[in-house]
Amino acid sequence: MAIITISRGSYSKGKEVAEKIASHLGYQCISRDVLLDASERFHIPEMKLVRAIHDAPSILDRFSHSQQAFIAYIRYALVQHVKEDNVVYHGLAGHLLLKGIPNVLKVRVIADLADRVRAEMKREKISEKAARSLLLKDDEERRKWTQALYGVDSRDSSLYDLVVHVHKLTVDDAVEIISDAVQRTPFKTTKQVRQKMEDYGLACQLKAGLAHSFDNVGVKSEYGNVLVYARGNEHYVQRVRKKAREVTGKMSGVNELEVHAVQKLPLDVV
Amino acid sequence: METLTTEMIMVMIMIGIAVFLFIVEWVRVDVVAILMMVALPLLHLVTPKEAFVGMSSNAVISIIAVIIIGAGLDKTGLINRLVGPILKIAGTSKSRVVIAISVTVAVISSFMQNIGAAALFLPAIQRISKSTKIPLSQLLMPIGFSAILGGTMTLVGCSPLILLNDLLEPFGLEPFGLFDVTPIGLALVASGLACFILLGRFILPQGGAESAEETSQSPIENTLIEMGEIYEIQTPVNYTDYREPVLVDNLKRRYLVNVLAMTEPPDFKVLSPTGDQEVRSDVHLLVYGRKKDIQRMVEVEEMQLKEAPEIFKGETEEGASGAVEAVVAPRSPLMGKTLREINLQDRFQVTPLAIYRGEEAYRAEIGDVPLAVGDAVLIHGEWQRLQVLQHERSLLFTTPIDVELLRPEKAIFAGFWLAVALSMILIFNIQLSVSLMTGALGMVVTRVLNIDEAYQSVDWRTIFLLAGLIPLGIATEKTGTAAWIAHTILNIIGDVQPIVLLTVIGVLSTIFTLVISNVGATVLLVPLVVNMAIAAHTDPRMAALVVGLATSNSFMLPTHQVNALYMGPGRYRSVDFMKAGLVISIVFIVVMIGMIKLIYGV
Repeated sequence: MAIITISRGSYSKGKEVAEKIASHLGYQCISRDVLLDASERFHIPEMKLVRAIHDAPSILDRFSHSQQAFIAYIRYALVQHVKEDNVVYHGLAGHLLLKGIPNVLKVRVIADLADRVRAEMKREKISEKAARSLLLKDDEERRKWTQALYGVDSRDSSLYDLVVHVHKLTVDDAVEIISDAVQRTPFKTTKQVRQKMEDYGLACQLKAGLAHSFDNVGVKSEYGNVLVYARGNEHYVQRVRKKAREVTGKMSGVNELEVHAVQKLPLDVV
Repeated sequence: METLTTEMIMVMIMIGIAVFLFIVEWVRVDVVAILMMVALPLLHLVTPKEAFVGMSSNAVISIIAVIIIGAGLDKTGLINRLVGPILKIAGTSKSRVVIAISVTVAVISSFMQNIGAAALFLPAIQRISKSTKIPLSQLLMPIGFSAILGGTMTLVGCSPLILLNDLLEPFGLEPFGLFDVTPIGLALVASGLACFILLGRFILPQGGAESAEETSQSPIENTLIEMGEIYEIQTPVNYTDYREPVLVDNLKRRYLVNVLAMTEPPDFKVLSPTGDQEVRSDVHLLVYGRKKDIQRMVEVEEMQLKEAPEIFKGETEEGASGAVEAVVAPRSPLMGKTLREINLQDRFQVTPLAIYRGEEAYRAEIGDVPLAVGDAVLIHGEWQRLQVLQHERSLLFTTPIDVELLRPEKAIFAGFWLAVALSMILIFNIQLSVSLMTGALGMVVTRVLNIDEAYQSVDWRTIFLLAGLIPLGIATEKTGTAAWIAHTILNIIGDVQPIVLLTVIGVLSTIFTLVISNVGATVLLVPLVVNMAIAAHTDPRMAALVVGLATSNSFMLPTHQVNALYMGPGRYRSVDFMKAGLVISIVFIVVMIGMIKLIYGV
């Protein structure tokens, strides 16, 4: 009864680890499904979503807030999946997108660059130099993305519960270690955890509904009491309020909605 | 024409600084006044003696005395006793309610501070609104405006008029008598009321039965209906056995339920427990919340809801504790602070329950909301604790809480001393400040209120605002700045009819009072307009009177204390004030000029 996120660089064997854990524990293994769901639900081409969650924000993105909106859509789709529990997610940024859910085991799988280069050369049939440069560029892009959107360095090991280096340890070793870790108490789905998941789901749902029109908003929920924080002038807050009422009107599980005007968005909001 | 001197330029710079600070409000207006009081003698624009002459001015002494007399009348409940009979006359028709209360408030505010008169009737108006189903927003604005207009009925009704005679003195002009302004004031109150009675449906916000769709969503309706109530609940014996610790704060955040009191084994009672206190097994909780929230909590947390308070019966009885609505006043030190910073819980052992702002009600995480002028905070606590909070005077209480401290047996003395003060002014022609101070002293001597209570009732912010700005007026006059500006303006506009000049002065005063407070506007404008009037061969006393009256023409923005007080409870938005205020402001100027022409034949 838990959720596992596997964060990985390309060709780090993370996908293999994820799939094996899922089959070992009988969990659902998801990755691209989330993007497909979001694409379908919000009528956004999948390619755009992939770019939003993969590429660091460009100069253009800094002026428009479409990237923020796309991420809100992806997060919403992801939360819908993990609410069913017993899930292994090995898509991008799982550990960041699911920040508000307590029983998530966050794993980072890493591999030696030399091993990764070899794997890529073999699969893509390219030169070593090309493979190496592609990998480094990809890693750098990820680092920029997390830095720009969450202000953290993706290499910082404190973001994860477990970092497994697949080199001396084999994929099977990794599967065993992770499967063992996820049995521990903090990752059990208790009544409280279920409530938090519900609340996080509500917050993400409302945020997805607001994200298209507003960028300076944060949402959180506790036991169905949904709080929206809006940073802007009276008129802006009034508009957020109207839209939030409209969105929550179609949601179930919302007990109360309040929209607060703030100078600075609190840290624990979606 | 005189030439512009360095001193004049410096005075104009100081005026510019004062006006700028009044508008941006980096510091409070009374601090700006003190800044002037200190800066002007340092720049040798006034002598040190002149700098502090405001402190001993008739205006300042009069206002201190008026405040003490008002507090005395308040203490005896003399005015409270008016409320009952007035309401009986008023009945349930909206127009009659508005007229009866407005006229009473106007009369009271003609010899008390406007804000005091306005606050006095607020609880009664709230009750009437509930029982007659007339929306509060339809009642409060006409009554609040009447309180402001009532201030123009006597020379002690509002600060600008009290100040007027002092400002006329340097010109050697004849001072005004106490009731000289009364006919004009009466006409202003009557015309204001007539506007609301005749045009009310166009200028007052129509919150309510207009459209069915709006009603179900209307937060105004919600706050009226969904005000919470007090319940007692009990936790099961095994409450903590099978769940994570639940804190007082958790109940608030999860169910929007406020814990007002809690028992603590073996038999202690904790009042207004702090958020980090744990809810234990088999304890009794006194909680405040909406019924649906309480029911949800009881269900989820498996608690037991009692039909009526048992353990906390004594605490919930009327007279022991209750909830009050308190409004963040203009110039309040609490402006911009959050409830978490103010920390009412620890300092006063009272519990803030909700914040009402405009048409919104905040219940969740109210600790983080920065307070703004006009916000109404619902606070629960023991009356004694609430009184301590009230004495701090950072919040205006819209519910009277010192009922048991009233001294009704002293009413006769209070009335007597008020009569003495008035007859000294009217019959014996003794100066305002001396007469009023005699009345105030009389009340202290006959123990209507004791001297400490008298001191405490004085609002030092008003005193320093008045006293600090007087030297600015002196400097403007002494250096010839006022005369220079007056001549320059007259040169530009050329010869005008006296009536046109007075109208222009009226409009100018209205604009000034909206941005830089009524006292500031009076002090700056009176020397100016007197010079202008002399140069244009118009009666300078009338020009000054127009300023004194028109600085009460403060309806278009919720900057006047009374408007700020009624804004929260009436759930008004700024735009509501602009709409009704614009109409009333125009009528005010027309009626005022008309009456001055009629009576003084300008």
